[in-house]
Amino acid sequence: MTLGKPHLGGGAGGRHRPSQAMLAISLLALVAAGCGGSSGAASSSTSLASSQVLKYPVFQNPGTWDPGEADAEVDTEFMQNVFDNLWRFDDSLNIVPDIATTVPTASNGGISADGLTYTVHLNPNATFDNGDKVTAEDVLYSWDRAVALQGPYSSNLSAIAGYADVQSAAGSPPASSTGSPLNFQQSIENGLWGCFRGKGTAGATCNSSLEMSGLTAPDGLTGETVQIVLANACGWCLAAWTLEGTTGAIVDENAIHNDPVNWWTKPSSATDGMVGTGAFYLASFTPKQSMVFKAVKNWWGSPKPTLTEVDIDIKDPSALATTVAAWKQGSYGIIGYGGDSGNLDYPTIESIKSSSYSKDLLTQPKGRTTWLSFNIGYPSTGGPFVGESAAAVGLRKAFDLAVDKQGLASTVCHDLLCTAATGGLITKGLIGNLGDGQDPLAQYDPTQAKQLLKEYDPTGTLTANLTYSYNTGGLNDPVAAYLQNEWQTNLGIHVNLNPVGDASQFISNRLGGQYVMSRDGWQFDYNNPQDWYANLWGSFATAAGANTSGFDDPTYDSVLNQADALPITQALPLYNQLATILQQDVVYIPLYYSVGNFLIQPWVKGAGSNTGFDYYWDQISILSH
Amino acid sequence: MLVYIVQRLAIIALTLLVVSFGVFVVVHSLPGNAFISQRVHGRSLQILLHEYGLDQPVMVQYWHFLTGAIHGNLGVSLYIRGEQVTPLVLRELSVSCEVGGAALIVTIGMGVTFGVLAAIRQNTWVDYLLTSIAVVGYTVPSFVIAGLGIMIFADFLGTITGGAFAYSPVWTGTYGTIGELWLPALAIGFYTSGQITRITRASMLEVIQQDYIRTARAKGLRERVVTIRHALRNALVPVISILGTTVVGILVGVLVVENIFGIPGLGKEFVESITEHDYNVTVGVFTIFALLIGLSNLAVDLIYTLVDPRIRY
Repeated sequence: MTLGKPHLGGGAGGRHRPSQAMLAISLLALVAAGCGGSSGAASSSTSLASSQVLKYPVFQNPGTWDPGEADAEVDTEFMQNVFDNLWRFDDSLNIVPDIATTVPTASNGGISADGLTYTVHLNPNATFDNGDKVTAEDVLYSWDRAVALQGPYSSNLSAIAGYADVQSAAGSPPASSTGSPLNFQQSIENGLWGCFRGKGTAGATCNSSLEMSGLTAPDGLTGETVQIVLANACGWCLAAWTLEGTTGAIVDENAIHNDPVNWWTKPSSATDGMVGTGAFYLASFTPKQSMVFKAVKNWWGSPKPTLTEVDIDIKDPSALATTVAAWKQGSYGIIGYGGDSGNLDYPTIESIKSSSYSKDLLTQPKGRTTWLSFNIGYPSTGGPFVGESAAAVGLRKAFDLAVDKQGLASTVCHDLLCTAATGGLITKGLIGNLGDGQDPLAQYDPTQAKQLLKEYDPTGTLTANLTYSYNTGGLNDPVAAYLQNEWQTNLGIHVNLNPVGDASQFISNRLGGQYVMSRDGWQFDYNNPQDWYANLWGSFATAAGANTSGFDDPTYDSVLNQADALPITQALPLYNQLATILQQDVVYIPLYYSVGNFLIQPWVKGAGSNTGFDYYWDQISILSH
Repeated sequence: MLVYIVQRLAIIALTLLVVSFGVFVVVHSLPGNAFISQRVHGRSLQILLHEYGLDQPVMVQYWHFLTGAIHGNLGVSLYIRGEQVTPLVLRELSVSCEVGGAALIVTIGMGVTFGVLAAIRQNTWVDYLLTSIAVVGYTVPSFVIAGLGIMIFADFLGTITGGAFAYSPVWTGTYGTIGELWLPALAIGFYTSGQITRITRASMLEVIQQDYIRTARAKGLRERVVTIRHALRNALVPVISILGTTVVGILVGVLVVENIFGIPGLGKEFVESITEHDYNVTVGVFTIFALLIGLSNLAVDLIYTLVDPRIRY
């Protein structure tokens, strides 16, 4: 018996003609293509869309939204919409009132004549989103708690009398047997509960050593006046206290008390969760997946939010291509918000610029500068740049002048992702920037560079086997290659590259002064030069373990202390003097200012960014589209 | 059979112990940690390390982890401060199972169907086409297919149809929608189905030559019944034997493809937890994966006994 060829419907080798139905469908698709609008087309509508839900992605997980612990831009960009400080920065980075009714000055009596006492009146309408009224005790609790937690921004409050005493009293957390942070934060909460909201409740105790002596409520804890007494004059304090999403933010003890560790991960409710005074509250949080914020009904502040909801998807940076594709389809309103303005890479930006979406691309300088630091103050690390001898300064100058900074911006950044840092280390647009081309270290003079090298290292032994260290990723790799090429070409020196794959390890090593030459950088926190000069050089930075170069000069410290005590108008010439000191000593090689790139749909009105932060959600609305 | 299952489960438990210990020691020996930044160093860093017990000896830390893990508590995330790891990992596992399950359906559906069709249409254009597709399938990695799929179905199709017909590369909620799931499943399944196709085809060709198939036809059974009920069942035995490695291949594909599509599963977590120095999450993910592979291999062995009654443990 032979096997016949099996038939499974239709003859093998039979031909099928396209059906008329298929042809019709194809034609319909072509018509749809012709009629369909592109997301890149400008929205001519000015009327509001019925759905006021803004959706956008972020490419980092939030670490913490506890203002006492937060330190990452991705966190503070959300927190600024949920929490308020006594003051806020407006879109032009000016300090304006927020929970406080006015910005204290000497002329309005908000600051005493000696500059040591600030009197702040709270807005009587200010409330938390769970309905709790904001009173003086909330300010005292929030700032005392932030100091006791000793988080990354606790030093913003360091000028207040009693700061050091509270930190000392809070001490270190007890040894953890389970790896849970509960004990430390719980002990602080237990100590403060009886001082403020829990005062008088059964079992509540007050550990008064956790209260800063310089922070009081003259009209009582439930009053609307707060008095801040400083241990020393502080011209930068107001700016530091205004930094949104960090230690200056006002939090609700009623919400924190029940779960001092994880309160911020829970949706806001009457008794717990991420309760703030901002225009939005956390409605849901799925870690590593998504977050939903909703507008607070009848919010006390202004402008009243038009958006009803903000949905945020948490993506991995490797999903950038799909995310941009989703944006083009209109699934997302914005890309770049949430501290991710540096995520759009050059090929993506170029393709956008050459497409119909080009007008939806927003380019904004960001308050972030990158430079190269020399090892100046750590003899154990070695290298030819250590110290202040003529040779050391001369060689630093040689390496500096051998680098074409404008060329770097063009070659590496394509003039899109960064701009040459020619106005000093403080980014353009911030107080303390010297102006384009005003930094002598931004010059490019390979001839003089060679002369200096010949003068101070005629045999080449001092500059042999040098290494430039950097953390890999982003622009760091091409910048390193560029620098290596510049030194080879203009000085004839081969500098080895030391790429460090782990960013945390690199930062730890760098802050410990373990590199002869290293990539360095800073993202500004508040618009005051103190933020830069105190945190990066000098004895304060050294004491904090954050002085990469080890540059520590008595004159620098003296000028810095004087400047820090003065209001900014008087302090600025002194801060500029610090810039001059750093330049004369060739402490750094300026490289570039970062530039952020955003994709914003034409129907998202009010979105944007300044040098410091994304515009608040309460300014954004969705137009019909 | 029960003894066999218990023995296998014991081996899986031992494997989990070895994997968790090995991964724990390795990640804790990596330089850096989850907290260091330009702002977090010195005292504030020491406070955090102390808070989370990271300044204790590694063996002490592992002991705390193990005693918690036995009770289902994998500890807390270091990156998302204080977030419980167990619910996080279980949620992401369920998402990965969804994607992996869909990929498995594509794998088996495509692989077996193409293999059967190619076999019964041997040496025709159908055979040539389907075997060519299989070759392409197991030659081209899943991440390449994923990228091509996005280019074609999201970008290109979206552009030419003005968005009317396009794949939406946005993952909705935790588990997405069918419209979002099909492309990642296809990207993974297309790659793993290639081998299934070829083995099914070869196995079918052998089986349809057998006497009992001839007998079935002689009895007047319809060809579809002969193919599916008689031939395919026996042809599947070798296919099931490679199902174990196929499942592993799917899991690996899931890891990669989830990152490309931004799917909030274990794949994304694998890389993220390592780069973020989120030790407890890393150990949890690796342990869960080891458990998944162990259980899936056990399942495949048990399925074998259903398909081939001659096999007994």
